[in-house]
Amino acid sequence: MHDKRHRSAGEIAFNAVLFIVSLVLLWSAYAIAGFESLSSPGALPMAVALAMVVSSGLVLLDGWRHTQRDQTGFLKDILPPAVIVMMLFIAGYALLLVPLGFLPTSLLFLTLSILYLRRGGLIFALGVSAFALLLVYIVFRLIFTVLMPSGIVPEAEMLAAFGQLFGGAR
Amino acid sequence: MEALGYFLTPWLDPKLLFLVAAGTFAGVYVGAIPGLSVTMAVSILIGFTFTWDVYPALCLMVGIFMGGVYGGSRTAILLNIPGAPSAIATALDGYPLAQKGLAGEAIGISTVMSFVGGLIGIIVLAVAAPAVSDFALTFQPRDFMLLAILGILLVGSLSGESLVKGIFAGALGLLIGTVGMDPLTAEERFTFGFTQLWGGISFIAVMIGMFGVSEALAQLHHVDKTAVKQTISRIVPTWSSILKYLPLSLQTSSIGVIIGALPGTGGDIAALMAYDHAKRVTKNPEVPFGQGAREGLVAPETANNAAVGGAFIPMLTLGIPGDAVTAIMIGALYIHGLNPGPMLMIDQPQMFWFITGALVLANIFMLIFGLTGIRIFTRIVEMPRTVLLPLILLLSIVGAYAVNNAITDVYWMLAFGVLGYFMKSYGYQLGPVILGVILSRLLDENWRRAIISEQGSVAGLFRGIATSPLSLVLAAMVVMIFVSQTPVWRRFRRKIGLERIEHDQDAPGSGA
Repeated sequence: MHDKRHRSAGEIAFNAVLFIVSLVLLWSAYAIAGFESLSSPGALPMAVALAMVVSSGLVLLDGWRHTQRDQTGFLKDILPPAVIVMMLFIAGYALLLVPLGFLPTSLLFLTLSILYLRRGGLIFALGVSAFALLLVYIVFRLIFTVLMPSGIVPEAEMLAAFGQLFGGAR
Repeated sequence: MEALGYFLTPWLDPKLLFLVAAGTFAGVYVGAIPGLSVTMAVSILIGFTFTWDVYPALCLMVGIFMGGVYGGSRTAILLNIPGAPSAIATALDGYPLAQKGLAGEAIGISTVMSFVGGLIGIIVLAVAAPAVSDFALTFQPRDFMLLAILGILLVGSLSGESLVKGIFAGALGLLIGTVGMDPLTAEERFTFGFTQLWGGISFIAVMIGMFGVSEALAQLHHVDKTAVKQTISRIVPTWSSILKYLPLSLQTSSIGVIIGALPGTGGDIAALMAYDHAKRVTKNPEVPFGQGAREGLVAPETANNAAVGGAFIPMLTLGIPGDAVTAIMIGALYIHGLNPGPMLMIDQPQMFWFITGALVLANIFMLIFGLTGIRIFTRIVEMPRTVLLPLILLLSIVGAYAVNNAITDVYWMLAFGVLGYFMKSYGYQLGPVILGVILSRLLDENWRRAIISEQGSVAGLFRGIATSPLSLVLAAMVVMIFVSQTPVWRRFRRKIGLERIEHDQDAPGSGA
């Protein structure tokens, strides 16, 4: 993925961002307690932020010196469309999880991503998604009792009704 | 004789036997599923079992622990996603082996070697517990501090391309670990005025993001390729291959037990140090390290399972956890009215022997389930990536959400997933980041304790290091790592006719 003698597309920009963020974090670490004492709460943050500034600076400098570029293209090899689309899908998933609820959002996410990645086959995508979701639901929600946002699905009522169906009326 | 009776209790009671088996079975799969951690499983289990008697509860938890440490290696080999931090080193050579279609053999070796390591760890726990705990008692804060630095630098230097990038990644992890309220003074650090950041950034969210999401995103590059067909004809390794790696496994098991027994360090560091050790002592590997060397699989797998026995030593004799899971185990013991610490061995020796017996039993079940369940398990890899990748992303989100039931953790996980993706793309290692996050608090506390005990004098700290043999050895190792990366050292090595042992540059699996 990375060639040692040549720079990849976007490498300098990424390293520059890391360097700038490191500088901001060093400033923020200094603001915790300044040079008050070696055992202050800001001592370790300042030390590690300094290590980040120095190391990212060295990496940036190294990249600058190697002016030769390799054959990679940013939107072809580093961030191809499939990665961008999936990043957007998971961002959308995270945003919809609470308002819509776990079950509908997950079904939507799985179906859409399988559809996009396979390019076609709605029945297959829906079927596989529903089956996978059922397994995940049983393992996480029912066995490990992980609480996922229920959103628009009246999950608790459904589970209670289901329990009554099998447990008999009490 | 009495001890033997307690030792055999879980073996002879069918209910306890079943619980150890069930725990181990569940542990193997919990450890293997990305996003589900042993830490999480054991902590959730406490909620289920705190009304139980202490014996069955312990059986289930010991099983999950043992199985989970081993289970993490499965996805490390098959998907390059370590199911647990202790399997980070396993991915370095395990994944290249799977890419060559040797997943069955890789899993077979790692299972048998986990068993060997686990057994050695338990034997040491049973025989040497008092002596090792005495040794750990003499540790000074500066020794803990040096150990933490050593751990991060080792990961940074052994995982490949450049030590500078490794240092950046390690420092980033340490910084992430300091976010939130300072545990000693309640001062805000890197919160930028957000109250949501007071509690810090969830380590699980960082780990799932870096190893779940970023790996899944990276695999999208190869989404059109069909998965490597796993040839799993030979799962049980031959006697000759076991015997061949036995000397190495004995060495790396010893590393595992010792590192596991040191408070604050667990299977993850043990595995990485063992990997490094194997790389140094194996002069002529059949396949270069990082490209599927079997030695690179044997070393971390023996060490991380040996570390389980090791981790129980300080936990039971000192009440100090070796890692996050043992910390939760200590909590569980408290809930059941036990008091882990120096008095446990005196007041309730039966508990010590019972736990030892359950550990041996779990180790045996791990071998059985490990060697029999592979055929079903490798199906996961044969699943088309177009289905597998969305599922991994979904499980990652569920896992991150489940830890604190907080959507903020999901956002953090996604952010670190994207950051990790770019870091991977540009040749940064992600292992040191995770290690930094784990060790941040330990390093912070012990640095401050060390400097306070010297009345704030750095000269005093160095004098302390120079006069203590243990600190001196640790400090010398830290210095050595830096020296070994300098051009002067490389020239020196060439001059005295030593070839470079590092072969892992640009290795496909070294991204873990």
